[in-house]
Amino acid sequence: MLARVANNLFWMGRYIERSEHIARYINVNYFSSLDAPNELSQSRQFVLRSMLFMVGDPEHDETKVLDEEKVLYKIGLDNDYPFSIINNVKYARENANSARDLISTELYEAINKFYHFVLKYDAEAYVKNGLHDFTVNITEMSAILRGKMRGTLLHNEIYAIIMMGVNIERATQIIRMINAKYNDALKSQGSYGDKFSNSFEWTTLLKCAESYDMMRRFYKKTPNSISTLEFLILNPNCPRSIMNSLNQVYKHIKVLDPSKKYNKNSTAFLVGKVRAEYEYKYIKEIEEDIQSFIKDILDNLSEISQKMESEFFNY
Amino acid sequence: MSKINNQIFSSYDRNPILYDELYDTEGKVKEMYSKLFNLYGEHSKKDYVKLNEKAKASFFNQGITFQVYDKEETKEKIFPFDLFPRIIDPQEWDIIERGAIQRSKALNLFLWDIYHGKKIIKQGIVPMELISSSANYLHQMNGIDPPGGIYNHISGTDVIKHNDGKYYVLEDNIRCPSGVSYVICNRTALKRALFGVFNHYQTHTVTNYAENLLDLLETVKPKGVDVPNVVVITPGMFNSAFYEHSYLAKTMGVELVEGRDLFVENDFVYMKTIRGPKKVDVIYRRIDDAFIDPLEFRPDSSLGVPGLFAAYKKGNVTLANAPGTGVADDKAVYTYMPEIIKYYLNEEPILNNVHTYHCSRPDELKYVLEHIHELVIKPVDEAGGYGISIGNRLTKEEIETVKKQVSENPRKYVAQPIMSLSVHPTYIDDSESFEQRHVDLRTFTVLGKDKEFVLKGGLTRVALQKGNLVVNSSQGGGSKDTWVLK
Repeated sequence: MLARVANNLFWMGRYIERSEHIARYINVNYFSSLDAPNELSQSRQFVLRSMLFMVGDPEHDETKVLDEEKVLYKIGLDNDYPFSIINNVKYARENANSARDLISTELYEAINKFYHFVLKYDAEAYVKNGLHDFTVNITEMSAILRGKMRGTLLHNEIYAIIMMGVNIERATQIIRMINAKYNDALKSQGSYGDKFSNSFEWTTLLKCAESYDMMRRFYKKTPNSISTLEFLILNPNCPRSIMNSLNQVYKHIKVLDPSKKYNKNSTAFLVGKVRAEYEYKYIKEIEEDIQSFIKDILDNLSEISQKMESEFFNY
Repeated sequence: MSKINNQIFSSYDRNPILYDELYDTEGKVKEMYSKLFNLYGEHSKKDYVKLNEKAKASFFNQGITFQVYDKEETKEKIFPFDLFPRIIDPQEWDIIERGAIQRSKALNLFLWDIYHGKKIIKQGIVPMELISSSANYLHQMNGIDPPGGIYNHISGTDVIKHNDGKYYVLEDNIRCPSGVSYVICNRTALKRALFGVFNHYQTHTVTNYAENLLDLLETVKPKGVDVPNVVVITPGMFNSAFYEHSYLAKTMGVELVEGRDLFVENDFVYMKTIRGPKKVDVIYRRIDDAFIDPLEFRPDSSLGVPGLFAAYKKGNVTLANAPGTGVADDKAVYTYMPEIIKYYLNEEPILNNVHTYHCSRPDELKYVLEHIHELVIKPVDEAGGYGISIGNRLTKEEIETVKKQVSENPRKYVAQPIMSLSVHPTYIDDSESFEQRHVDLRTFTVLGKDKEFVLKGGLTRVALQKGNLVVNSSQGGGSKDTWVLK
């Protein structure tokens, strides 16, 4: 397949995954805050700041009073904000357009419907009472797209490229969520006697990752910092975990690079190395220095992405 | 036979002067259409409006759109289509198909000749100035033998039915004519919206174009190539016909490339893939001659591939259609088609040509200048329907302007009698009813080495403006599903 189009498909996968995670994050944080058990988690300002932090645009002025409608609009439907959901969906569709001969008609039509849904969404209705409807539809349409990818595309190098994009982005977004919730948990400790490790924010985090029910099934206890981080980072069977995403990335890079022994400068080598590193970590060593962990994994994911760019997409 | 209360046709205003394909001269529904008429008549007007809206949404969801560039943002519009299909009976279709193949073959032989021995010119059948004065004649193509001997792999023959009930060719398009993807889209839309109607008619499929196109493109692979790598080259996704480019690549199962995806090394063409360079053998191009190679044609072109023409000259790559076919895709050369067919094929033309006056001939120029109000005046080398003047629609001042233009540059113009294009019932949104609208038919022919294929259907194009004779989509036309009966 063409190098240029491969690049577009990689980013199509990333933008679709990114749209969904942003939508889920703002949905869960907003609605769970309405009757949160602690004072700070219930605070609207706290929630709005958390949303901006997660999308990479933290508000540093502690005294500023954020306008709810402006924040929601910015993250959801602001055409001038590069990280908004609407722009992520536009980029995904634009990338799909350049490759519509390679992907299935069913996948393209689903992306096109997704695009037109977002494009036509009434901004006024969205900020006033449409947040749930908008974000749930984004989540559901993203799930349909993944279903079309898995169920209608040949599982060849084209599929591998798209899924590399999806899984690298997934790991990146989960880390961003963990980072945002870690900060929220630090800030909210002390309210109503909560401690950091038992913060309500860990429950919120699991719901943001659609992993709360399965986590309860796995641990049978109320989430705490250790169990939540272990589940979302190290559990290879949690579909939203970092470990699962890295395993998927490794599986797909082998489709692109079927060598038995990898060149040390190849993407496949780097992916294998990073994956192996996390496979043998345990949660205590991560929790001791969570900030370093977050920085390291983000750097690793970025490095993988750049390596792919130079190995497969550049001419 | 006909129901008394056929709701959606009840307000159909029939002009008896026009040749209506649904009604005969006595005002009865033609037998071929009677079942269809009754089936549509079972729908209330309200139902039909709803069906029409759903069909439009289907087109939109499938991304079957073209882009209109506004001041602030790019808007997407669907290609207008009508849900009432046109029917062509097998006997009529046989004439159309044989005629289209005949013309395509004759044009191919003509192209070979004018880029080699030029016998038809030396023997005085076609005047030299018609060729040498054409901006589309490429001297670089002289002496080149295209792989398989095919120049116009893809042809679009535009056919109308006149009020005498006979088919006439308006134009032969052999510079990669567009529109075939809409043939399939119209069929899909109709199947989704009104699937029941297909139970009553045995109609030929239109979904086999891509497989036949690929088969025939593979027959013109360069020498020494076993399994050719075929690609479609597009100017890019902002081109108005990009939907069709991607549709053709997808349905053929071949790569859709842009100029920047290809490069030439040692006179072979390669594409840049994630696994390194891969040789390209056949290129189905949707890029104009002038842009295909900046080293040979327009030096500022960033759409083409430097060195592509050199590779083509060596016979290392096939270009479909060949460069320089525009010289025969020319309204002045069109007027010589009957002679061209006789000369190369030793056959009588199967499809009628519209009688054409050559303004480059003094006696015919005189006739044209005296009869502009009865004629259509056309510039010979404009694509897309631009620059056409229809005599009976011109004011006195406009007639004088046209006279002046033609007198100053007669070579540039041809004139033809105003044909009374047949009309077909077409649903008009504004009036929420069916109205008579002029139609033509674009056929799609593919020539390969020793093989040819004509899609059994083609694109019925509709002039959506009342009374308008220009059916081209860039002038606001629409289209209909076209059923060729078995």
